[in-house]
Amino acid sequence: MSDEQPFILSVADADIDLLNKKLQLVRWPDELQGADWDYGSPLTDIQRLVARWKDGYDWRKVEAEINELPQFTRDIKVDGFGALNIHYVHQKSTVKNAIPLLFLHGWPGSFLEVRKVLPILTEASADHPSFHVVAPSLPGFGPSEGQHKPEFDGSKYAEVVNTLMLTLGYTEYVVQGGDWGSFLGRKLAAQYGSTSVKAWHTNYPNVQQPPSLLRFPSLYLAHLFTPYTASEKAGLERTKWFLSTSRAYFQEQATKPQTIGYTFADSPVALLAWIYEKLVQWTDGYPWTDDEVLTWISVYWFSRAGPAASVRIYYETVTTGEYHTLPWSPVPCGLSYFPKELVVAPRAWARTIGNVVFESAHESGGHFAAHEKPVELVADVRDMFRKGGPAFGVVGGRTGYD
Amino acid sequence: MSEQPFKVSVPDADLDLLHQKLDLVRFPDELEEAGWEYGTPLADVKRLVAHWKDGFDWRKAEAEINELPQFTRDIEVDGFGALNIHYIHQKSTVENAVPLLFVHGWPGHFLEARKIIPLLTSASPEHPSFHVVALSLPGFGFSEGPKKKDFSIKQYPEVANKLMLALGYDEYVTQGGDWGFIISKAMAHMYGHKHVKAWHTNCPVGQPPSPSKNPFRFLLFMVTPWSAEERAGIMRTQAFRKEGSGYMQLQSTRPQTLGYNLADSPAGLLAWIYEKLVTWTDNYPWTDDEVLTWISVYWFSRDGPAASLRIYKELLKLGPEVMASGAQYSTVPLGLSYFPKELFCLPRAWSQSIGNVVHESVHEHGGHFAAFERPDDLANDVRAMFGKGGPAYGVVPGKNGYA
Repeated sequence: MSDEQPFILSVADADIDLLNKKLQLVRWPDELQGADWDYGSPLTDIQRLVARWKDGYDWRKVEAEINELPQFTRDIKVDGFGALNIHYVHQKSTVKNAIPLLFLHGWPGSFLEVRKVLPILTEASADHPSFHVVAPSLPGFGPSEGQHKPEFDGSKYAEVVNTLMLTLGYTEYVVQGGDWGSFLGRKLAAQYGSTSVKAWHTNYPNVQQPPSLLRFPSLYLAHLFTPYTASEKAGLERTKWFLSTSRAYFQEQATKPQTIGYTFADSPVALLAWIYEKLVQWTDGYPWTDDEVLTWISVYWFSRAGPAASVRIYYETVTTGEYHTLPWSPVPCGLSYFPKELVVAPRAWARTIGNVVFESAHESGGHFAAHEKPVELVADVRDMFRKGGPAFGVVGGRTGYD
Repeated sequence: MSEQPFKVSVPDADLDLLHQKLDLVRFPDELEEAGWEYGTPLADVKRLVAHWKDGFDWRKAEAEINELPQFTRDIEVDGFGALNIHYIHQKSTVENAVPLLFVHGWPGHFLEARKIIPLLTSASPEHPSFHVVALSLPGFGFSEGPKKKDFSIKQYPEVANKLMLALGYDEYVTQGGDWGFIISKAMAHMYGHKHVKAWHTNCPVGQPPSPSKNPFRFLLFMVTPWSAEERAGIMRTQAFRKEGSGYMQLQSTRPQTLGYNLADSPAGLLAWIYEKLVTWTDNYPWTDDEVLTWISVYWFSRDGPAASLRIYKELLKLGPEVMASGAQYSTVPLGLSYFPKELFCLPRAWSQSIGNVVHESVHEHGGHFAAFERPDDLANDVRAMFGKGGPAYGVVPGKNGYA
């Protein structure tokens, strides 16, 4: 079936029962006195969240709210992998010539990260451009089918989402993403920059080294002679924290995704503690409610391919070497800098990521920008594509204004 | 509290909970023909879980474990109060047997010594005998773990040393691999000559010669090409660091987060540890019962499996310099056994930096869990080191190992 099917998220009763049975049988680890966050997710937090999950958290109510988003599925063929049934949110603007925008989540995110930015991106106004938004669940995430064979690497994820946009009639479009959405934005610009991808924006300029003299001579010189600003220095500290103390999950997921996958599939508490740690440490004091957290985790727990499937992207992209050798593309690129992102590169470093035509820095916000700072993120995207903006009119015939 | 005899006796409620959880296991899927590339294979985990539910007899395994002479006693640790420590203590019939402390690592435990104990304690005019003590490290097996932070490079050796002294072994030798290597090295540094008279390891991790410390050896190192064996060993070591050390990074930075996984999911714990039991050994023909006994010791451990992970954070957070200074070079005699499928297979010349190497033995087979995989080889190495004519013969005064 390759035609679009409207999609309603509807978890089977049996799956909810199993979750509840498991929550009744949780066996807790102990914890060192005064551990706080030093050793990982604190026991009081996780116990409180599980108590709420068992008693009070209403998945069916949450599900109904999720289903207010316009969701669909369709089969997307991938070279060498057959067809995968892909889930996506698709919201058109009332502005006929709105710019088609592909919004890409990462891990441990989901299509739900588009929720807050969706109404703002699609909103019509004479004062700013509007967007038609497509927010897929990446293969192996949320309600999208996962790949069944090895070597489904970044170029395949890119192929899926590009094909989706083309199938929806968006022969030219722009991309916005963070986390894997940033990696894929860069990948899409390189893979499809001469055809369908006309610009990309990311809130995660994941550049971990300074410009090299050979490849980026003018950035290299600028880097050599310009001292780091206070915020760039703070960014380097944050980056150091991340790379030296907080990246073990990446290493495990990139080498043994199946091994860690058993714990995600079998234990809701394990999945909760694993993801909650990121939700707290990767954001900038975001006031997560317990129900918000449990909803993010539940999307993984109830995902179509199971939570273990979602981490294979780490293995495939790292093993191929793709992760560390993304090519440069002349497609216009926009960057938003948030201080509590995981890798906060100095400007001279970040500008090597692509053909950077737009930059915007913020005083607060972290890794999940679309969820933490939706207004600011959309303001940046609007500024990049507005009349007079550096990427105005990149998509033929769709300026974002009627 | 002085020594108490100990028998493993898991409460029925704990066994019931395990079975209730096994009845509700939810498995992940797996990519086609994944093999071991992505981690522990699904078919293995499913088979082992099925056997754990319906076939594996824990009470029988428990009874067999209880044939080993086990005890507990409180050991006072500076700044941490008393920890109740579990250990095997098997004396030889040879009165002047050499007291030997066996120190396990992760994901090992006291049962790693079960095959080597009868060999080391046996009496014969042909070889020395040993009185063997095999403790459960704090937070492992049936030993209580510390409740406060920073139980580290000084505290593990302190517990082990105090245990030996409490048993009346004022002078003794040690044998260990994995954390047992690090702890033994620290013990040689902290208590060398006074209490620790010699030590042996099957997991030697040395440093390359440094130009300042050993200029001659450094020069030799620079001009001597790698042998094929050394090259293979270095590649094995690098592969371990690149592809096999995710668990180590996790356990040394986020042991609590990972701890939820291992405490709550028996299938998860099984997959986590079984991956090491297979990939770290040299085609050891694990039986399902052997694996499940091994995993069950972690599942039913006194403080739970999460506690066993903390050693990684507490020791590795110190950084390499502090770790090294806590376990500096000691002149106490050292014996090494090299097994080809160990995780770190560094050139033998580098071992000189570990300690005062007096005995080396190279094997054709065997991996990380040498005492369990190759008990005869390991026992022979230890006997050769301490036996008549051996380089450490009579190192413990009055206890040369012979009748």
